[in-house]
Parts: sequence; structure tokens; C-alpha cells
Amino acid sequence: MSPTAPNYRRHNDSADASFEIELIRELAVDQTKAAFAVPALFTNPPPIQDGLETQTSKARSDTMQKCLPFLLNDDTSDSPIPKQNSFGIPSLRKKDHVNFLHGNLADFPAPFVAMDASRPWLFYWSLAGLSFLGEDVSEYRERLVQTVKPLQNATGGFGGGHGQLSHIASSYACVLSLAIVGGKEALELVDRKAMWQWLGSVKQRDGGFQVTHGGEEDMRGAYCAMTIISLLNLPLALPSGSPARVKGDETFLTGLMGWISHCQSFEGGIGAAPGNEAHGGYAFCALACLCIIGEPHETINRCLDVPLLLSWLSAQQTTPEGGFAGRTNKLVDACYSHWIGGCWALLEAAMRGANQSSSECLPPGSLWSREGLTRYLLCCCQAKSGGLRDKPGARPDAYHTCYSLAGLNAAQNHYYYSPDTKGNPAPLSASFNWRVDATKEEGVPFDEDDRIRLVHPVYVLPWGTAEQTRDFFKDKDVD
Amino acid sequence: MGLYSESPDWADIEPIPQDEGGPNPLAAIHYSEEYSEAMGYLRAVMARNEMSSRALALTEDIIDMNPAHYTIWLYRAEILFAIKADLHQELEWLNETALAHQKNYQIWNHRQTVVDRVGSPAGEAEFIARMFEKDAKNYHVWSYRQWLVRRFDLWEKGELEDVELLLKHDIRNNSAWNHRWFIVFGRDDSAVAGDVIQREMDYAKDAIRLAPQNQSPWNYLKGVTRRAGNPMSSLKDFASEFASIERPNEVRSSYALDLLAEIYSQESDGKLDAAVALDLLAKHYDPIRANYWNYRKALLEQPATAA
Repeated sequence: MSPTAPNYRRHNDSADASFEIELIRELAVDQTKAAFAVPALFTNPPPIQDGLETQTSKARSDTMQKCLPFLLNDDTSDSPIPKQNSFGIPSLRKKDHVNFLHGNLADFPAPFVAMDASRPWLFYWSLAGLSFLGEDVSEYRERLVQTVKPLQNATGGFGGGHGQLSHIASSYACVLSLAIVGGKEALELVDRKAMWQWLGSVKQRDGGFQVTHGGEEDMRGAYCAMTIISLLNLPLALPSGSPARVKGDETFLTGLMGWISHCQSFEGGIGAAPGNEAHGGYAFCALACLCIIGEPHETINRCLDVPLLLSWLSAQQTTPEGGFAGRTNKLVDACYSHWIGGCWALLEAAMRGANQSSSECLPPGSLWSREGLTRYLLCCCQAKSGGLRDKPGARPDAYHTCYSLAGLNAAQNHYYYSPDTKGNPAPLSASFNWRVDATKEEGVPFDEDDRIRLVHPVYVLPWGTAEQTRDFFKDKDVD
Repeated sequence: MGLYSESPDWADIEPIPQDEGGPNPLAAIHYSEEYSEAMGYLRAVMARNEMSSRALALTEDIIDMNPAHYTIWLYRAEILFAIKADLHQELEWLNETALAHQKNYQIWNHRQTVVDRVGSPAGEAEFIARMFEKDAKNYHVWSYRQWLVRRFDLWEKGELEDVELLLKHDIRNNSAWNHRWFIVFGRDDSAVAGDVIQREMDYAKDAIRLAPQNQSPWNYLKGVTRRAGNPMSSLKDFASEFASIERPNEVRSSYALDLLAEIYSQESDGKLDAAVALDLLAKHYDPIRANYWNYRKALLEQPATAA
């Protein structure tokens, strides 16, 4: 039972005889700090906790204890005290994060050998993160082109390093990195025909995609494949060599929506593959993939139980931390600021329906707490040395930095799906119809200085990059 | 000089050095000499698609240094089958490697490939139990376990009992709840027998009584109810054990309140009660989700078609 149960009075004597609820909440506000009082929501344990202690409840309580000093901005281990914004919480320390990300593109000592098969991810996380922070990354173009060239295999796709087999995640990270630095030299490096053929070879008969030959089939495969196909303007038809092509008319989309639909679990969230536990990372991959396949209100509403998904997404926001967990009964982690935080714009677009007007039931504001996420990221996740981290106590890395920044973007802007023309858009063109409204929502504790550059809600690329890339390949075919 | 360059067994191989593309590669790793050398030989044997026991030993050497190298795992699986290596020995080695590298997941795809070829799940449940001792929510292990169940038709071979053990240890282990769902309802889309539905409802209800603010069994209970085609109102009495809008300061579970709001909203004269429950959630019992609860409240004003 909650230690702070409300005083509660209920009466039905109002004119329209409706019930009125009056809650009198006693907020424990420290008067000396009244100017910057942190709402009790972000300083108190969850309102209801049951008495049974298990590994899960212990881990959650440990995490809360680690976060509370940061949420209260009482962490005294920092000296000098980091710069505060006008809401009395730490500003986004852009310069430190920029330095940190530049460092992630420099040399690594031998113990980082575990990254040897995922270097393309380092390119993407760092270059994307730097762009989100407003840096011009075109200075990396030449070095990126050189570094990526030996990763491309003659049979199509990119591996994690020279001599490594093509993998859909490496291919995704390489293509996005090349798109970020931009320019003819970078974009023309991709052998599109070979990529098309390779993607055809990992397309599965049940509709999904394997991540590599002989590898697992999961939601990352579907999202990465559709991202690459749409950005590079590859044909939707399967290449003739594709083992999935049993009839003449089959495409990359054959069976895909059905497969995604099967990945929605009884909880409402989405798993890596049919039957798997609902998980934030795969939820974003599924929604973004559906937003590439077609218009969100068409594809998402057709494929998924939207009210159930909404309820599950909403339940991932943790209290008092304010960030998101990735699964039911798991811990808050900054990377889900994007994986869950990035789902909202896509789902809201589906809920607004075909005319995309702010429908009567969908509020003009948000379905989630932008304030909570902003507090978590700015207070708890900025490492002193630069970079952002999973949670206090964890080391920062490029992965958490990139997706924390993308999550901050989700908290700072409202994205809308808004096609120029009504009616069915051309195949795979729907994802280029997004608009943004950067009006700040009241109560979200960030200043203009804490803003990051706009991020595309589907491609997780700097705003405009996806369109430029697609335009570059607009008139190119694969022969 | 090195392990391979000085070995007569490798004298016929010209290692292929790593092509970094230019003088200033991005995110370059200063490899140890041992790793660098081994990788040079790996590129060379892979280029000639060599299937041999020395290539197998080479993959083991590199995996010890970097188990996150998916290419090597895939190549290793090919070699194992090509030279008809002892797959049971492979599994024993995999056990040690998996326990030493908890977070690695390439290993689970490899294990799947090997066990598929072995054609028997013997010993797998025991090994998985050891993995769960370290992390009972490891996503890749659970995903592998689902594959095992499908591949070897293990639906009624102790899976439910194992889930119950894990839940006895931690009733909030959502991965175990998900596996329970998979075992009971994931086999096919056909109707599930009434007594099984009842058993699952009872199981979830008992779990809720143990720890009412645990979302996992609430999600499960609602899932079973939907799957059985029963209305949510069939859970009204049960939910009322943990929350009531008549006693708003005695709410023991926000999930019960959420469920009551859903049930009320479907009753012909329940909209006001639903609004009370949603207000309680937004203002007191789950305020981080206030926007969501307020949205649900706004839905109450919509014509009934919304339901």
C-alpha cells in the first residue's frame, strides 16, 4: 500500500450530477528548492509496491537508488557542477558528447577486438550522433569510403570487416553511414545490383528475412532490408536467383506483413520472431518497417492490434526514472529512449487515420511523458567524460549515445505523416512523407540550447538525408 | 613470427592481411599480434573454402579471442558438417564457451545449427537451466528454447514444469510467462480446451494474489481471456479484489484499476465509473502514464463504435 495515499472525497451534487473527484495531493516539496522543485513523481518510489521481494524487484529497487541522486540533481560527485538549464537540471553537454563520438571513430586498443565484426555500427552510431549534435561530418567522407570499401563483398552486401560474410546489420549500418556523409563518391560505392541480389538471397519463404546466410531470421532483418531497399531505390521484385521466388510475381513484400503480424505477442508488444517475448527494440523495427512498406494508418492498423500495442508501449515508461524499459518487468535503459520513444510518432500517425487530422480522441500533445524521458536522459545518462550511458554506473558508449540523442529528439518534436497528395502513394514512397512540428510542449524541461538536430522518425538519419539519398538513386535501375 | 607462421602444418598457406582500405581507417582496432595473425590465416582458408580439421582448430582459436565474430561461427558450422566432426564434442565445448560469454548470441544460432544436425535435444534442457541460473531473462536463450520445442516436439515434455520452477524463483520473470504462453497457446491456432483455459486463469490469478502489482500475470490473464473469447467483464470480480473506485485509497494494484476501467467502459452505464478509475491512475496510482490514461478517458466520450 502506498505510503502517500491521497485524501479522497467523492460527491455527486454538481449540476450535471456527474461525479467529481477531488484529489488533494501532498507534494513533499523542499521549500528551499521550490524554484527548481522536482515533481514528486520523479523523486518518490512507484505509488504501489507489493511486499514480495524477488530478483526482479530487487534489481528495480537498486536501479531506483542509483538514479534518485541524479534525478534530484543531488549528485555531489561532480565538480565543478555541470551547467544547468533553466529548469534546474543539467544541460545537454554537447561539446563533451561530440568529443566522445569523435573518439569512437578513432583508433581502439586491442581489448576492443569484440567490436571487430561490428565496426560498421560504430560508423553509424558515431556519425549519426555527431550529426544529431549539429556537427558537419562530411570531413569523414573520404576516410569512410576507404574504410567501407573492403567490407563490401562481390556477391553483394557488406560484412562487419574485410573478409567477413555479408550481414544485414553491417549492410544497414554501412549504407546509412554512407548516406550521412553523403556525396557521389560515397553513395556510388554501393554495388546496388549485387545488394539487390544478396537481399533476395536472404528473403525467406515465410515472409521474413535472415540476417545472413545460415543466420537467424528476425525483425532486425526485415527492418534493415526494407530500409536498404527503399533508400537505394532497389526494385521490389525479387531477383531471379532468390530461393524465395517460387512464383514469377513475388516481391520483397510477399508475406512480410503477415510475418510481422505474427510477431505481436499476447502482451501487445512485438518480439524478434513469432512466439518471442515483446521487446522494445523489435517494436521499433516492426513499426518503422511497416512505415516503409506503406502509409502508417494502412499498414500498422492492418497488421497490429493498435490499442494493445499502445497499452504495452505506455507501460514501458518507468517511475521514478522517467525513461523506458525494453520489456515488462525489466529495467530502464537509455537505448529504449529511441526504441520505445521512437515508436510514438509512428503509432500516433497510424491512430490519426487516413485524413491525418488530429482526431477527436487523439490529443494534440502526447500519449507519453516527454518530461520524464528528458529528465532521465539529461539527469541520469550523461557521463562526466562525455557520451551517454544505459544508466548511472554504466560506461557510456556510441550505441547508447546515438539512441539517447534520438530519444531526446522524440521528446523535443512532434512528427506527422502528411503526404502531398491523397490516394495511394507510389510503392515504398510513404516513408518520405513525414513533417515535423518543433513546437515545445509545455513542461518539458529543455532549453533551446539542449535541442538537437531533427531526426527522421523512420530512418533515424539526420532530417533530409533519407530524401537526398533516395533522390540520388531515383532514376537509377540495377542493370 | 607466430603460432601459425612457424608451424609446418600451415606452411602451404599464404595469409591474407586485413585490407583497411587506406592509411586512415575509421574506428580501427589495434589487434593483438595473435589475433591479427590468426585472422590472416582465416581469410586465406576461407578464400579457398577449406574444410579441414586445421581450419576447425583455427576457428576455435579465434572464437576464444573474439566470440562475437559471426562469420567464424558460420564457417565453423560448415567445416563441422563437411569433415563429419564429432558433434557431441562440439556441444561440450559450446557449453563452456556459452557460460563464459553470457551476452554473446552468435553462439545460439550455432548451437541451433549443430543440435538440428545431431537430431536430438538430449541434455539441452539441463544446459539451458545452467544458463538461466546466471540470467533467467536471456532473450537469445529463450528464443533458442522455443526453437527446440518446435523442432523436437517438446510441448508436453516438461516445459510447463520448468517454467513453474523459474516462476517460483521469481514470479516477475516475464520471459518465463512468455514461454508459458508459447507452450500453452503457441502450438497452433486451434481452440484450447476449456479445462486448460481454467487452469491457466487459476495459475495467473494465484500469481497475482502473491504479488498484485506484478504486470506479467495481469497481461497473461487478459491474454488468456481474449484467447478464450471471453469478455473482460468475466474478470470484474477478480479485479475488484485489488482495486475499487469505492475505496480509492486502498488500491493494491494499478493493473486491476486499469482492467476495471476497461470493463466499466464497456458497460452501458459504466462510463463515469471508468472515468473515476482512469483519473485515479492518472493522478495518483500511475501518473507517469497520465497522458495515456487521459487519452483513454477521452475515448469514453467517443461513440460506442470505438470499442
